[in-house]
Amino acid sequence: MLAVLNKYRSIFAIGLQSNLVYRWNFAVRASFSLVHLTFVFVLWGAAFSGQAGIGGFDLRQTLTYFVVMLVLQFFISAMNEDYEISEEIRNGLINQFLLKPINYYLYRFSIFVSARLVSGLLALLPMILIYPLLADKLVLPSIGWTYAAVIPALIMSSIIQFTIAYCFGLLTFWFLEIQSFIILSLAVETVLGGQVFPLDLLPKWLYDFSAYLPYYYQMYFPAALLTGRITDQAFIIRGLGIQFFWVLALLGMAQLLWSRGLRRHTAVGG
Amino acid sequence: MNSLAHYSRLWLAGARYSIVRTMMFRADFIMWSLVELFWMGVNLLLIAVVYRHTNSIAGWGPWEMTIIVGTSMLVQRLLMGLFWTNLFEMGRNVRSGHFDFFMAQPGSPLFMVSTRKIDLDGFLNAPLALGVVVYACHRLGLHPSVWQMVGYGGFIICGLAIHYSTLLILVSLVFWLQSAKGLEGGYFGVNEFSRLPREALRGIAAVIFVYALPVILVTNVPARALLHGVELVPALWLIGAAVGWFTFAVIVFNRGLRRYSSASS
Repeated sequence: MLAVLNKYRSIFAIGLQSNLVYRWNFAVRASFSLVHLTFVFVLWGAAFSGQAGIGGFDLRQTLTYFVVMLVLQFFISAMNEDYEISEEIRNGLINQFLLKPINYYLYRFSIFVSARLVSGLLALLPMILIYPLLADKLVLPSIGWTYAAVIPALIMSSIIQFTIAYCFGLLTFWFLEIQSFIILSLAVETVLGGQVFPLDLLPKWLYDFSAYLPYYYQMYFPAALLTGRITDQAFIIRGLGIQFFWVLALLGMAQLLWSRGLRRHTAVGG
Repeated sequence: MNSLAHYSRLWLAGARYSIVRTMMFRADFIMWSLVELFWMGVNLLLIAVVYRHTNSIAGWGPWEMTIIVGTSMLVQRLLMGLFWTNLFEMGRNVRSGHFDFFMAQPGSPLFMVSTRKIDLDGFLNAPLALGVVVYACHRLGLHPSVWQMVGYGGFIICGLAIHYSTLLILVSLVFWLQSAKGLEGGYFGVNEFSRLPREALRGIAAVIFVYALPVILVTNVPARALLHGVELVPALWLIGAAVGWFTFAVIVFNRGLRRYSSASS
């Protein structure tokens, strides 16, 4: 068991080193995200003008939601893992993993965790720099016990994020070009993951429906827990249960695609 | 006149090649059209959701705001259809040395790199974006005059020139930097502001996004032309910005071109 852990710890360390090489790319990306944050502040500031609340939350709570969402993106969301997996399949680089005692999913997941650690920490830098400007516009909830649910929610969110990207990458076994699938999926994930607007602003029936989809648990659920948009204990426990179901379902899907995909894969050359 | 005919023939040859190529990969074309359609839907959904909870954003009602968003989508679709792929391939070609190919073409290098391909999926969605604007006008009971419609069309061309120039400047940085990769993220970030009414911005944000990077003017001036008629001062400002940005972009490109020394072996 320890030997297995050591194997993936080494992969994590290598991933950390190779991602630190791209530290400036992550830093530039994080800086650009501040432009998006400015857009969010302007739009919602104008929407709140003349009214105390929207959907039961005031402007500070709504802006806090978007700031938390932005930081979480850099810590837990899949960025270009789908493209990297696709490239490895297309170029035959996965052949080496078929001959070694390495689980490809865990290999990629170890690299994903190291990449998000680097990108997340780098994203915090511009946030810390502009925090004095933001401080009076943000507010975090004081309901301490919801934070206990945040940790498992975040871990499961990152697994869901990565596994969806992994599954899209594996589509390369069937399709030569998967970029359009990825961008289409990104649009769905962006909306139903709550990155465009807080999902609780949707009509109730649509919100209730979205809570059964995996996208809800990619970003919205942990962000809503962190910002106090979800506080009902029974709802949180039910949410963690559904999230756990999606983790298992997606892992099953990933395994199915991998085993079926390998049957189609032709390893040429050496 | 001969020159215009020459460049028209070159553009048509490129367009014919792009259409034939797109029809060879029909499934891919349908998927990309859906992608663009879905992203347009995302923009409209945001407006729909916000206006479920408020009546006005900076004094603009839901259908007025839809005209702004539709105009932003129209400019974007035209940019995607005509120039996007070409300009981003330029960045890659300069790095790899394949840019030599464009230097040997029978026309201006800027024209050749900017117009070699067209993306049909962008074009396919441009009428839909225009349809959104027309529908919003219908919901507002607007009956724009011919002058207003001509003005709107002219402002769209100015907006397209501003966006094209911005993108060209960003991609031309590849002549100085090792890579312009990731800069499109900045472009998309700035472009988000084109979906806002001018009145929503105050202070430094207004200076940056209205005057320095005139993304707000690109959508607000045409939208106001449909809503209130063509207004002289904003119209002159937009035309001036289009001419200024295009001139600056051409200077940057030509300066970059002088540095290009080919990278092929």
